[in-house]
Amino acid sequence: MTLLAIDSREAPRRRLFKAEDRPLVSAGLYLALALCIALPLTLMFLWSVADGWQPPSIFPQSFTTSRWIHILGDENLVAALLTSLFIAFTVTILTALIAMPTAWAMGRFPFRLKRLVEIFILAPVIIPGLVVAVGVGKVFLLLGLAYSVAGVIIVQIVGTLPLMIRLMSATFETIPDELIHAARSLGAGTASIVLHVILPLSVPGLLAGGLMSFIGSFEEFDKSFIVGAPVIQTLPIKLYMYLDPYSMQLPLAAIVSFILLLPALIVFIIAGRIMRDDLMAAGMGKI
Amino acid sequence: MSVLHRHRSLQLLLLLTPGVGYLLFFFGTPLLSALVGSFQLEDGTFTLNWYQCIFTRASTLRGLSTSIYYGTMPVLLSLTLSVPLSLLLRRSFLGRKLFSGLYKLPLAVPGIIVGLMVIVVFERGGFFDRLLAPIGFTLPKLVRDDWGIGVILAGAWKQVPFMTLIITSAFAAIPEDIRHAARSLGASRLKTFLFVDIPLAMPGITAAILLTFIGSMSSFAIPDIVGPPTARPLSVLMVQEFKQGRFEQVYAMGMVLSLFAIIVLLAYYSLTSRIGHDSRKGEQS
Amino acid sequence: MMSELEIRNLTKHYGETRVLHPVSLSVERGEFVTILGPSGCGKSTLLRILMGISEASGGEIHLAGKRLDLAPPEARDIAMVFQSYALFPHMSVAKNLGFGLKMKNVPKDERAKRIAHVVDICNLHGLLDRMPRQLSGGQQQRVALARAVVMQPSLLLFDEPLSNLDAKLRDSLRHDLVALHRRIGTTSLYVTHDQAEAMAMSDRIVVMNAGRIVEIGTPLELYRSPRHVFTAQFLGQTNLLTVEASGTGGRLPWGQVITLDRPATGTAQVSLRPENIAIIADENGVATVSSVAFLGATLFYTMEIGTLSLKVSQAGGVDPLSVGTRVSFDLAGPVHLLDHLPMAEAA
Repeated sequence: MTLLAIDSREAPRRRLFKAEDRPLVSAGLYLALALCIALPLTLMFLWSVADGWQPPSIFPQSFTTSRWIHILGDENLVAALLTSLFIAFTVTILTALIAMPTAWAMGRFPFRLKRLVEIFILAPVIIPGLVVAVGVGKVFLLLGLAYSVAGVIIVQIVGTLPLMIRLMSATFETIPDELIHAARSLGAGTASIVLHVILPLSVPGLLAGGLMSFIGSFEEFDKSFIVGAPVIQTLPIKLYMYLDPYSMQLPLAAIVSFILLLPALIVFIIAGRIMRDDLMAAGMGKI
Repeated sequence: MSVLHRHRSLQLLLLLTPGVGYLLFFFGTPLLSALVGSFQLEDGTFTLNWYQCIFTRASTLRGLSTSIYYGTMPVLLSLTLSVPLSLLLRRSFLGRKLFSGLYKLPLAVPGIIVGLMVIVVFERGGFFDRLLAPIGFTLPKLVRDDWGIGVILAGAWKQVPFMTLIITSAFAAIPEDIRHAARSLGASRLKTFLFVDIPLAMPGITAAILLTFIGSMSSFAIPDIVGPPTARPLSVLMVQEFKQGRFEQVYAMGMVLSLFAIIVLLAYYSLTSRIGHDSRKGEQS
Repeated sequence: MMSELEIRNLTKHYGETRVLHPVSLSVERGEFVTILGPSGCGKSTLLRILMGISEASGGEIHLAGKRLDLAPPEARDIAMVFQSYALFPHMSVAKNLGFGLKMKNVPKDERAKRIAHVVDICNLHGLLDRMPRQLSGGQQQRVALARAVVMQPSLLLFDEPLSNLDAKLRDSLRHDLVALHRRIGTTSLYVTHDQAEAMAMSDRIVVMNAGRIVEIGTPLELYRSPRHVFTAQFLGQTNLLTVEASGTGGRLPWGQVITLDRPATGTAQVSLRPENIAIIADENGVATVSSVAFLGATLFYTMEIGTLSLKVSQAGGVDPLSVGTRVSFDLAGPVHLLDHLPMAEAA
């Protein structure tokens, strides 16, 4: 068999591996992204600043910022925004506080019935939020919590707690026993260990869970609607009212949408930079 | 404090109390009272009336089937988009890191806004309609149409990033060596995907599918805004009844929805544990 | 006659970094060749290129007369045993073994025959219905081995398959591997960083460092007469000493004269193995015992001569000398002279 005298320098080869860049794939994906995400958002924005946008014009002919100015001065809207923010912050902090001891138990102690408790903790995610709210609604009426901010906070925590517990128990599980033993042997008491060992190591999980809870609460609709409306108005509830099919006000709805979206997007972008995909996957169990 | 150290079960109980206790009180009890309430008349006597109403009235029966429809269709659509997307994302391409962040944006958008977006883009008189008008086409009715296409599109829009996230994670969790082993044993890329990747990623994928199904089956905002008034899912009917104060009827509907969700979950557990059982078949003492 | 496996001028770089300088190697049919080197020397890269999961930047590979590097992994007549076993977790042992045969469309009865045979020679009786997670580490590795062997490939690749096992298991599996190779005679390329493993198993050893092949030879050749400093130090223990050579005689730094195994002139380097240094307790000796380690089968000493430190070993049956004893050396036999190779090549 003759030895082929092939040029063994970097000659181009017939290969199954495509070029690193895959420009076609990249272009296609970004195009899809533009069509699916950028386009609707842009359109909504145009609606919010268009001064009358009738068919058949594809783009608005004239623009006005009057609606934005008007709306930002609307007391009700500002009140709704502040209500939403306040509720979101409170829910996030309370969820974290309530979740952590339980997550610690779930993440570090083996015990009988653990599976049962796991399933119970997951139940609020399975049972539709509406059903929970409706059940809670009656109880709240008796307790006088209906149509109150406290009521909305309480019912939202039911939704954020399962995810937070799961995220935090996953995080706590990863803290090596040896670290805690080492800290004890160096003289640290329980409080010190929590403050100086456990909390710092839990920051990724706390951050992920906190951001998830915040966004979850901020844009939560079903439960807040049942428990709070029409007295307590969060931003999503306000938006819903603008979208009543019989008296829809598209431009106003668009503006409120952006106000609703903006904090969520900012928080989300921050989260995206900090969090890992698998944590995100574990946390997002909501629609 | 040392007392706690010694009695581990006491320690455990105390730790579990905040979370589990909270859920028991604000979730378990209301759920239980709703369950009980669904079987009661106003005077407290036992009745199956409310359930009868659901299964005899055409509107509620259609509500249940619509709920299931709104659960299944978006998931199917999402799957057909997510699986290829997660495959494309596996390997590098220009701008992959940025894209990996951007495609998750819909996760942060609440359902109502998605509904609004569907209206803006697809409604009669909306963007695409105007775009196509000069060419002489009109878009079929996609919002509040009989097939609920707007609802399905909106649901899928929100779900695709979530499913892609889960599916890519599931695939990424498979050790690269196992794929290499399959290739070295004669499996082409496609065969490796079919015989190795998919079976091993299945548990994660089915979990994602189930969660998404349950979520969109019971969603309220999107079907309410974008769905046809002729076919309202149970979630929307529930809110209607609630506003009119017919609480018991609402409880019954809620229980039916929940029951369905639980059935689906049980089916999932039995499926996955059966696979587990098969693989334990050869276990010797 | 062309060898079974011919690697010619294989190179690999990632951007600016060169991972494999041109590497060339021939393996004869039925040979068991080990590629030995420290982590990062390029041996795993070489293996991945052979497997087809990594693409070479240049060069070519021929297997059994056919051009190998242009074919996709699934079309190559190669099977690999992985360090992590890489058993398919969702398939039983039987299915794992049958997977490759199915992929290559081997007829059913032939499949059954081959599997039965490989169960026999790899000692997998009774394990066919088990799932990988029900097996011990040693069992899993045997299944991984069987899965590769059942393919009857032209070339078997081993990627440090014993590293994940504990010492005792490693020894017994190593023994099994050697026996297996003797039985089936497949051309094998074995990658490891463990020099004892390499010496015990191989027909020839390819010593690699920093993306280059340093030396190739039989275990005996490489241990007793390495050409390169790197080889001398990597295989077992040695003392590297400078000598003033004239002809076959050489003078050690402390003045002792020795015979070299080949003639040379001027300054040169020798490799003196610890076991080849005979010691005599001597009040006027040149060296002092500075440490003693009793390892059971061997006695390991460190000796000081002036600024030099020498490693010496003896069979463990002798009574150990105590620290501070003065000794002199009896270096009768010829001492191996290393090649005068520039340091750059060893880097």
